[in-house]
Amino acid sequence: MTGTLLKAKTSGPGTAGTRPRLFRNPWRHPWFLEGFTWLYLVWSLAPIVVAVLFSFNNGKSQSAFQGLSVRWYWGDKVNSIWYNPQLHSAIFQTLKLSALTTLIAVPVGVAFALGINKWRGKIPGGFNFLMILSFVVPELIFGVALYFIFTQMPGLRGVGLGTLAEVLGLVSWNLSWPAIIVQARLVTIGKQYEEASADLGCTHMQTLRRVMLPLLMPAIFASAILVFSGVIDDFVVVDLLSSNGSTQPMSVIIYSTVHGGNNGPALNALATVMLLMSFIVALLGFAGYRLMTRGQRIDNRQTLTAITGSD
Amino acid sequence: MTTQAPPQPPATSPAPPPKPAPRGKYTGAEPNKLFWILLAAPGIIWLVILFVVPFYAVLAIGEGKLNTQTHAPVAVYNPFGWSSANLSNVLHDIFGAQAFVGPTVLTTIWYVAAASILSLLIAYPAAYFVARFAGRRKGLFLVLLVAPFWISYMMRMLAWIDLLQTNGYVNKVWSFIGLGSPNWLGGHSYTVILGLVYGYIPYLILVLYAGLDRIDPSLLEAGRDLGLSRVSTFWRVTLPLSRQPILTGMLITVLPMLGDFYTNQLLSGAPATAMIGNVIQGQLTTPFAAGQGAILSLIVLLVLIGPMIYYVVATNRTSQAAS
Amino acid sequence: MHPREGWQPDGTRRVPDLSRRQALKRGLAATILAGGGASLLDACAPYLVGPTNVPLPRPTNPVRWPTTDNAKIADGLQPETGATLQVYNWVAYINQAVVNSFAKKYNCKVQITTFNTMDEALSKLNSGLKFDVFMGVTVDTLGPLIASKLIQPLNHRYIPNITQAWPDFTNPFYDQGWQYTVPYTIYTTGIAWRKDLVDLNPYAMRNPWREMFFQPRYRGKIAILDDYRESPSLALMMNNIYNLNTTSRVQIDLARQTLQDLDKAVNLRIDNNDYTEVPTGQTWIHHAWSGDMAAAASYMPKGVNVDVVGYWFPTDGKGPIANDTNTVLRSASNPVLAHLFVNYLMDENVALNNISYNGYMQPITAITPEVLVKEQILPRSLTSTAVLPEDFRRGLGELQLPADADALWQQAWLVVSEGM
Repeated sequence: MTGTLLKAKTSGPGTAGTRPRLFRNPWRHPWFLEGFTWLYLVWSLAPIVVAVLFSFNNGKSQSAFQGLSVRWYWGDKVNSIWYNPQLHSAIFQTLKLSALTTLIAVPVGVAFALGINKWRGKIPGGFNFLMILSFVVPELIFGVALYFIFTQMPGLRGVGLGTLAEVLGLVSWNLSWPAIIVQARLVTIGKQYEEASADLGCTHMQTLRRVMLPLLMPAIFASAILVFSGVIDDFVVVDLLSSNGSTQPMSVIIYSTVHGGNNGPALNALATVMLLMSFIVALLGFAGYRLMTRGQRIDNRQTLTAITGSD
Repeated sequence: MTTQAPPQPPATSPAPPPKPAPRGKYTGAEPNKLFWILLAAPGIIWLVILFVVPFYAVLAIGEGKLNTQTHAPVAVYNPFGWSSANLSNVLHDIFGAQAFVGPTVLTTIWYVAAASILSLLIAYPAAYFVARFAGRRKGLFLVLLVAPFWISYMMRMLAWIDLLQTNGYVNKVWSFIGLGSPNWLGGHSYTVILGLVYGYIPYLILVLYAGLDRIDPSLLEAGRDLGLSRVSTFWRVTLPLSRQPILTGMLITVLPMLGDFYTNQLLSGAPATAMIGNVIQGQLTTPFAAGQGAILSLIVLLVLIGPMIYYVVATNRTSQAAS
Repeated sequence: MHPREGWQPDGTRRVPDLSRRQALKRGLAATILAGGGASLLDACAPYLVGPTNVPLPRPTNPVRWPTTDNAKIADGLQPETGATLQVYNWVAYINQAVVNSFAKKYNCKVQITTFNTMDEALSKLNSGLKFDVFMGVTVDTLGPLIASKLIQPLNHRYIPNITQAWPDFTNPFYDQGWQYTVPYTIYTTGIAWRKDLVDLNPYAMRNPWREMFFQPRYRGKIAILDDYRESPSLALMMNNIYNLNTTSRVQIDLARQTLQDLDKAVNLRIDNNDYTEVPTGQTWIHHAWSGDMAAAASYMPKGVNVDVVGYWFPTDGKGPIANDTNTVLRSASNPVLAHLFVNYLMDENVALNNISYNGYMQPITAITPEVLVKEQILPRSLTSTAVLPEDFRRGLGELQLPADADALWQQAWLVVSEGM
């Protein structure tokens, strides 16, 4: 195989610029690319390691390491996560918001994507455009507008501020993830599966349930993860729509503390907890996906590639 | 299922009306649109109530008044009551004699352009490597690539601020290599650009990975068989095939970057590096200027619509070509 | 007319509004021809809505707020049982240990909600959010709060600890008869610098406000506060103007121009992180609040002594000084506990505990700088951050402005902070 390729390299069209001075295997492992990727990963992940490390800092500083301890997790009787009620409610609020938002945004977004894709014409095109617009709008404007209508606009004024407002705001902000990702996937899937199932006599509902949704599972899954992690990290919209301490999730506490005061490494401990939670959710999702697609895949790698929508 | 094969109709006579689709049966030729409309309905209603209406509210604030007692803007919903004071103030701020927004716009364009190009230059090789050459370790790489999503953006930035202090670890390494000890956090454009890249690159890498992974390796082999060198294969086969992922990736990084304000706030804090997002944030949080902030953000949105239309059109073209 | 007056950033000179006396001197016709610009109020008149006759408290114009339609609670009530006291406060402005000890003493729970800016707090309160105690209220916000009937008059029977505070606060100019407020913290705004990294001595300068900041050789290491009153006031003092409540458009423009010049000279940074940046040496000269610097000792990196941090405030007391207050909201569902809470914070030992956390002094008579040094809450090298009663009486306050002048300040600050 290599032999024929080498021969092809030295003659024929398109070889004007190539000269096999040495025996170079064109399929060799690209060490440069790999090194580059590792360098990127180090750059990307080093701060995470540092942040997690400082959550175990013995002192109050976030830049000078003063020894290992778990005081910020459960040691410090006043300010640690275990003892500080403000941090408890923050963790619960984050979980609540993430779960609720994902449970609402993903189905609505997927349905929207399916509906718009099949309903061709100018009107659905317009709605689709609106959906993409909702993705690129700067979040601050969106948050301020929502704050305004929830507190002052006649009609929606009854919503007020608090968890309901936060969920409504977060769903609106994240609705575009499933809508865009699922639509992109639909485009690559093409129409042949639906037409086949139609030929076999299925109704729309049956086609949807038995053909489309399983095909779209990777995209749905990817968008669910993005929505979930997006909500955990969101502080702009949630800060504006929060009512009191019990509706301020972890992201808002971290953001306001960065700007106003400094609680020390308790913040890092909080972020580490967030990291753990996301990790656990991702693991659960991974296991769930394997459960749902058992019998259809061979190994973990295939699952992962399927989840990231690359099949 | 019978289909009518109409005889060749003369050009002037109308085509016979299509047979109505049997209820509940997917005919293939005329799908029952109602089903799909109903499916999309919740999303549409949501969009209208919680996206379009707030936008009208932004417009109403922009054209409204300020209550000096509550320090809050007062929205004017009736278009006939709109005042153009804010609009003229904003235009004056951008183009007028004492324009201070104009330079900020230029700064924003330059930062976002530099940050997007840099992001692409970093993300593409990494995504390409993981998609094509990772082999058995693909799972590991994917997990590592996705990890930034799991920890708060704030905490990553805080950790960076910590590392970038003048006597922090980055400078320790930097001076060890012999490059001196730059004052990273002293209000410099390069820190802000790097911060923008850092914040948005995970999304770009994932999108690029998903797109590159889909490229059929046999196409590349075909290119090689036809005698292309590595570089030519890349240029003539891989790159055109990755056009759509690059486009999508640019959409989800460039456009949000234009509204970013916290990167500059955290990593620089100098007015010299302020971006348009900072101006909007400053105006929206200052009661007197909240109306101007509303107008400015609507103007920014109008500017964003251009690239968005290009994206939608380009995507439609690609999907039509694919089907 | 001052030589610096009227110059615009684009190099043109715009004749500022003439004062009445100058107009008479020049003659009316000449005045009209000179084209004094329309006042901001005219241009803004259709834009601003709200009451126009708001009293503006000043030391020379003390204000007694009305209490009509705003009754205080009755005497002799018992504290609410099984309640959750809702406290609305700045971020990290009260010691959690103090909060916990209050909760234990009165057998209740306490929930703290935080806000980032006074405007945000005002906005959320006006939108209907309910809390019990509103802490850290700045003096210039009292007018709008009382006009909107958001806070209730205090029943003094529940707050005996007022006797422990400085006597000035039983009849402050901004709230005669302490009807609505009790004092919380008291602080000055000065200049913090690193004595080991910067060889400047503000005590030997004629105008340290100007000379400490206009130092091009420390480019990139100089920062001012992100506050639309504090930083323009700094610029005013740089120009020897000590009326920090000026409504003169000319002076506000001058302040803006000075700050823009400063930015060009030293690549200015704007943030409120003086309490970490000066101890770690990231910033060498920072416009700072006294309370932030008093807490510097807890942010020093390993091996660096807190002695290297200096804080300068004018020795003649002509510098910005302010105090924050605590109030009880009208929407309080636990008003008795709220009263007891603000009372609790003025107890000497509780105050000491609180100061050890956030660094900000409280005006309690028994807490003198010597006491703070003895309790090792304040390092001896930073006693300049301590505030004495004399300072409060002769210091410069940044007080409530009329709406259009306030708009001028905000606009000037926006131009400086968000664009160049």
